[in-house]
Amino acid sequence: MNSLVISRTGTHLTVQDFGRFHYQHLGVSPSGAMDQRIIKELEKIIPLHHNQFIEFAYVGPSIKIKEGSVKVCVGGNCNMNIQKNNGTQIICHPYKSINLFAGDELNIHNTIDSVYGYIAVEHGLGLDPCLKSFSTDTKAGIGSINRSLEVDDTFEIQGDVSSWDHLSIPNPDYKKETNFKVYPGPQLQFFTDQALQSFIGSAFTVSAQSDRMGIRLKGEAILSNESHDILSEGILPGSIQVPSDGQPIVLMRDIPCTGGYPKIAILKEEDISKISQLPPGSQITFDLQTIY
Amino acid sequence: MYFKGINSYGDRGMLLDFGDDSSKPISLEVNKAFSTISNLGLPLLNIIPSFNKIVIIFENSEIRDQNKEKITLEMNEIKPQSHKSTNKTWKIPACYDESFALDLKLIQRLHQITKEEIINLHTSENYYTYYIGFMPGFPYLGDIPSQLITPRLATPRIKIPARSIGIAKNHTCIYPKISPGGWNIIGQIPFDIFDLQNPNPSLFLPGDKVSFYSVSNKEFQQIQKKHFSINELIKEYSS
Repeated sequence: MNSLVISRTGTHLTVQDFGRFHYQHLGVSPSGAMDQRIIKELEKIIPLHHNQFIEFAYVGPSIKIKEGSVKVCVGGNCNMNIQKNNGTQIICHPYKSINLFAGDELNIHNTIDSVYGYIAVEHGLGLDPCLKSFSTDTKAGIGSINRSLEVDDTFEIQGDVSSWDHLSIPNPDYKKETNFKVYPGPQLQFFTDQALQSFIGSAFTVSAQSDRMGIRLKGEAILSNESHDILSEGILPGSIQVPSDGQPIVLMRDIPCTGGYPKIAILKEEDISKISQLPPGSQITFDLQTIY
Repeated sequence: MYFKGINSYGDRGMLLDFGDDSSKPISLEVNKAFSTISNLGLPLLNIIPSFNKIVIIFENSEIRDQNKEKITLEMNEIKPQSHKSTNKTWKIPACYDESFALDLKLIQRLHQITKEEIINLHTSENYYTYYIGFMPGFPYLGDIPSQLITPRLATPRIKIPARSIGIAKNHTCIYPKISPGGWNIIGQIPFDIFDLQNPNPSLFLPGDKVSFYSVSNKEFQQIQKKHFSINELIKEYSS
């Protein structure tokens, strides 16, 4: 038997995969990993991940092996070490497989100049899917585990380490992007040319109130000359909605399924992962792409 | 036909536009299109109906663009009057006791009507399910009798009890779970309407007909004790 336990939680620790689809018409958000690039990379090192990744924001957890041995790999820009069962301490690195044995504890400290990091565990975490996905939406209480992970949460790993060989890939070293090309949103015409000029001409700051539901931006108010209250309609991640205070919100993976604010623009799918990694205080700008 | 056309929504979304108004005839057309497109077997990730729009999400722009023609053709064929409905008709027990009806007094004062009149009005209509949204399994039902039309609460509640019946503007709803929210609460139903263990987790689907009948607190408690599953509820309360 192989098992691991969360010995320290970190922040916003949840189980995620590539998303829960086909249920949004019943009010169920797609959820899924905020930075999907990283879990795609981890797939190369831990192909038997069973779509059960642990996501953390800013501060990673400590995980301790209770019984047996487990192969894991961490993704994201973070520093960490292993407290071995014999008392020694080893520095380890993301995107390199790690073999952990009973009593070993992996301590992930914090993400560097980024937000989200991930742990892939060989053979997954032994969870059952919920509505065909392992992702967690803590606000809706949906998921294989329908809440954030807590200290003492224990996972029985359904398989033995497949090979002791150390696998690694080059650190993806994602370039930090702060200028995003966006497509027009369904309510673009709600905004005057002047408001659009402010939207594409000025910089916005990522607010600390951002979370898995949305990234809140602060900057010059973008005001609609029609209304900031529309009949609710279906929305998708990446949409940039503007409530009546004129401060845009980029909707992320745990979107409400329908929304009643006008949407000025929408990010490209691949940019949702990129923008998720910008810590509060980051400055961003938008370019409106009119032909697509 | 209210259908106005199909627009792109970002690099992998599609928005079917049925105009800017909201009415039951528009919703009937939206929900007919929703069920038709859902049954085409297209490789879509999500299809989300609302009052006057349908948003469809694909994995990427190539798949979206490949399927646009098929959806356009289908939309041109849709005749809402020939709607062969697979929707259910529900008769749902509701308890309007003061212990559940947190805003009954407010509505009595606002409209100068008695508790009995509110119950009679709310149970008099066979409501139409516009769509499911806001939270898992939450039905937007309407339209309520004009005497009951009430604005949302000025200050939303932090915690609305699970299974509460709300009214706001010309709609009524049921909160599947404990939640913050701004609807006026007038009663409660005795069972859950969203079950994650069921592959079809939502009791109500867009287009369903829903009416309420008043039960005493004692009857409410008896039904509550039965802990009905979704499948049992379908047998017991729908036709």
